[in-house]
Amino acid sequence: MTTPFLQIRGLRKTYDQVVAIDQVSLDIKQGEFMTFLGPSGSGKSTTLYIVAGFQEPTEGQVLLNGKSLLDVAPNKRNIGMVFQRYTLFPHLTVGENVAFPLRVRRRPESEVKAKVAKMLELVHLAEYRDRLPGQLSGGQQQRVAIARALAYDPPLLLMDEPLSALDKKLREEIQFELRRIHQETGVTILYVTHDQEEALRLSDRIAVFSQGRIEQVGTGEELYEHPSSRFVAGFIGNSNFLPVKVEQMGGGRARAIFPNGQAVEGDARAFAAGSEGTLMVRPEKMRIRPHAASARGLAVTVRDMTYLGDSMHFAVQTPWEQELAVRMAVGDGQGLCIGSSAVLEWDAQHGHVFA
Amino acid sequence: MLLDYDRLGGWRWGLVAIGSAVMLFLLLPIVFIAALSFGDSQWLVFPPPGWTTQWYQQLLTDPVWVNALLTSAKVAVMVTLLSVVLGLLAALGLARSRFFGKSALQAFFLTPMVLPVVVLAVALYAFFLKLGLTGTLTGFVIGHLIIALPFSIITIGNSLQSFDSALEDAAMICGAGPLEVKWRVTLPAIRLGLFAAAIFSFLISWDEVVLSIFMASPTLQTLPVLIWSTLRQDLTPVIASASTLLVAFTVLLMLLASFLKKGSRQ
Ligand SMILES: Nc1ncnc2c1ncn2[C@@H]1O[C@H](COP(=O)(O)OP(=O)(O)OP(=O)(O)O)[C@@H](O)[C@H]1O
Ligand SMILES: [Mg+2]
Repeated sequence: MTTPFLQIRGLRKTYDQVVAIDQVSLDIKQGEFMTFLGPSGSGKSTTLYIVAGFQEPTEGQVLLNGKSLLDVAPNKRNIGMVFQRYTLFPHLTVGENVAFPLRVRRRPESEVKAKVAKMLELVHLAEYRDRLPGQLSGGQQQRVAIARALAYDPPLLLMDEPLSALDKKLREEIQFELRRIHQETGVTILYVTHDQEEALRLSDRIAVFSQGRIEQVGTGEELYEHPSSRFVAGFIGNSNFLPVKVEQMGGGRARAIFPNGQAVEGDARAFAAGSEGTLMVRPEKMRIRPHAASARGLAVTVRDMTYLGDSMHFAVQTPWEQELAVRMAVGDGQGLCIGSSAVLEWDAQHGHVFA
Repeated sequence: MLLDYDRLGGWRWGLVAIGSAVMLFLLLPIVFIAALSFGDSQWLVFPPPGWTTQWYQQLLTDPVWVNALLTSAKVAVMVTLLSVVLGLLAALGLARSRFFGKSALQAFFLTPMVLPVVVLAVALYAFFLKLGLTGTLTGFVIGHLIIALPFSIITIGNSLQSFDSALEDAAMICGAGPLEVKWRVTLPAIRLGLFAAAIFSFLISWDEVVLSIFMASPTLQTLPVLIWSTLRQDLTPVIASASTLLVAFTVLLMLLASFLKKGSRQ
């Protein structure tokens, strides 16, 4: 087997008593867009900074093409980085900012010129070459920062919430540009965000961080369709969590019962029979039918209906008085009204049982 | 505001009068000296019966005065250089690191500001006498440096504080080594602070008299010392012209400093 492009092996970082990250391991393929997604304080930046070299891990190893990165000084790692804060050099023009890494590398003037022109072309800012950073908008500054980080063709580009200071519209615009730049340059990107939508839009794969550990790694679809924990399910997309008691395990599936005694099935990892758990079902995987005629399904009462244009949103109440969210196509809710009793169903494969 | 100048009505003229009086009181001696330096009366009669530049000619041809002027300039330039370089190193050390006793060191660096200069002068005099440094250029430079350094450290430290150290991280990841980061990014970013520190240091040395009196020897003295010692012997308009030069140069540098400050705000 070939060695992975970037290997993060058992990283641990502690500050005095605080454990910032623990047992963080991850393989990243060349050209991959990998996103670290997680709530504030979950250790995303710490992991990124260890790869960049601003911090040293307490334990663990980082290998690039099989060679240790930790032994290399940060300025010799040849990694590109874009920061959350604007970090263009205020006394240099846009062009000189992009030229900076090349000047530091003592590249010939002709090459510097050509490269700066090419990079500014890449981020669509060619006509801003002679401006100072202070004369640019936040979005333009971050694009220049991307150009600067890519000017020396680094094999790896690190980005720590580069768009979090921008408004929504600008953010989406640059996300689009980022995808294009990633495709055009083929650079491997490690991207940090706590915005799940941004992660889904940009990434080939997403590593979900929680409390200093990686909860799950996978494509957006994998994380959404097959979350491995209640945390991941709750963090990506909307979800309903129903309390269950697991009765029986087998073949990656669990048989469980609801508080009202009704039986249900769902995907599950290893579970001890008899233990308490949670069944997760996405709102759009659920269906409501008007009559309590069907034996299958959960008897519920419709509490609220909202017309959302492309879909209908329902709030329904279970026999144990829990409110659930259901989303259906507009035509599918025929014959339902607030206060009516109905039956709630979903396909067994869309139910996931977590501890 | 409760006391708005625009709403004071008739009272504002009273305020203007008081302000003007205070300003005149402060500035008049300087105007007086400047006028005398151009007056042709040997006995410093005011108002001068006629006008002349002979005192300036005398000042600039008398080797004693010229030497003092040169010494002042030499000392001030050396103090400026050393104060900015050492101030920068100290400020960098204090701003960028955490170590045991840092705040104590910080306070220690600033003690010359609060210590009465005459106390410092006596102590240095006794010490330098042992080392044979009194009456030498080195003695002057070290003495002035001690007084100027705290101002440099504070000024440069302030500009380092408003400088985002993420810029240094960015430069480093771009491939710049530690020294190159400082040279290409940090120093340009805090250059106004460095200029301000230089101007303050120069002025402190240029106007310093207490310490200088202790350091001076009959053959080596700065302009303020010579003014002071000449004044004790006889009253000549040359003193007025030397003083005027001293003030003129100081004002020039102050203007430059305020100009820089304005520039930094834009
Ligand atoms: N210098 C430090 N000293 C002590 N604790 C720290 C330090 N830096 C980070 N931590 C802790 O390490 C943990 C992980 O921090 P990190 O910055 O990696 O989080 P993050 O996932 O990037 O969060 P955010 O989304 O807010 O940027 C946090 O609990 C934080 O408080
Ligand atoms: Mg962070």
